[in-house]
Amino acid sequence: MSPTYVYGLVRADLAVPAGLDGLDGAPVELVAHEGLGALVSAAPTGRPLGTREDLFAHERVVDAVAAEVTVLPMRFGSVIERPAVVDELLAPHLAELDAAIADLDGHVQYSVKGRYEREVVLREVVVADPEIAELRERVHGVPEEASYEDRMRLGELVVGAIEERARRDGGRMHEMLSAQAAASVARPSSDPEQVLDSAFLVPRDRLHEFEHAVDQLGTDLAGTVRFRLIGPVAPYDFVAAAG
Amino acid sequence: MTVASQRGDASGSVERYTGGGSSGLADVVEMILDKGLVIDVFVRVSLVGIEILTIDARIVVASVDTFLRFAEATNRLDLYGKGKGGKDLPEMMEGITEGGAKGKTGGVLDAAADKVGELLGGGDDEEEDEEPAEQPRRRPRPRERSRERER
Repeated sequence: MSPTYVYGLVRADLAVPAGLDGLDGAPVELVAHEGLGALVSAAPTGRPLGTREDLFAHERVVDAVAAEVTVLPMRFGSVIERPAVVDELLAPHLAELDAAIADLDGHVQYSVKGRYEREVVLREVVVADPEIAELRERVHGVPEEASYEDRMRLGELVVGAIEERARRDGGRMHEMLSAQAAASVARPSSDPEQVLDSAFLVPRDRLHEFEHAVDQLGTDLAGTVRFRLIGPVAPYDFVAAAG
Repeated sequence: MTVASQRGDASGSVERYTGGGSSGLADVVEMILDKGLVIDVFVRVSLVGIEILTIDARIVVASVDTFLRFAEATNRLDLYGKGKGGKDLPEMMEGITEGGAKGKTGGVLDAAADKVGELLGGGDDEEEDEEPAEQPRRRPRPRERSRERER
């Protein structure tokens, strides 16, 4: 039994960065087969995976390599027997894995999230809709129990109005940033104040332009929307589910 | 490349996580638990306990809480308080789109690089700043908010 943790898949000509450690500090190696390689290390045994350190270790390995070359990140928790890395993972899927790497080659991922500043968006919503403004006046100073119906209606209207704004504003932001990307994905959000949550596949020679575009958005909308930029990281949102 | 985090004032209100495991647990969780390649073989041989980690249990509670929360926030709102951004957002977006996008695009990109694959799951764990979890996260945190938003 030699349980092996798989971090991601790369082209086999990769030189694993010296001193790259994986889960529990185990050294990361490359298992190569026919031009493809799997980044692996010994898997911790005798305990379930999933500690904070495990998660960070996985991401660190994937993104350290992704900084240089294209990595197909495996989902966290991929463990198989050592011989199966070639026999069951690489060999049977050579063509599709190779195609997937080719598709993503030369790109990295950025995720961009934006949230409205609550006060600001609320103010806009109240000012823009007389019904909201009126309900707001009506519940003011009235205990929650005594104004339950009004509050429900008010909340529903406010949430609806914010969501509508978020769809419109977020759509434009997504579109603007997409101009710097080869592909993009808008993730579904359940939070009314989340105006943008998108992943972008960006060519390595356009990183600066992309970051600049995000900075520009952040500067222009300072005080209205707070942005968060994650990346460059491996193309997590752009890998297909094989099998 | 992963150290591009320090930037000048240009960053404005953009907060960054550049990967590499120094912060941002929620970002990491979202990326590696919810996304990434899954090949059938792994389903068979994954170690005990892993499947539980994959995020699928999405708790949908009626929107009541969300509505009441926003109603209260609206109630408490100081309509004339600080933080009012002179122009409203649509106007600002307008200006940005016109002024900003121009010249940057340059048509260099080949949009043919199609979406490479279907998305795995629909991760939307957006509480990025909070609660560095000390413990193994066995299940996604239950969220008592509406999950009904579609975009």
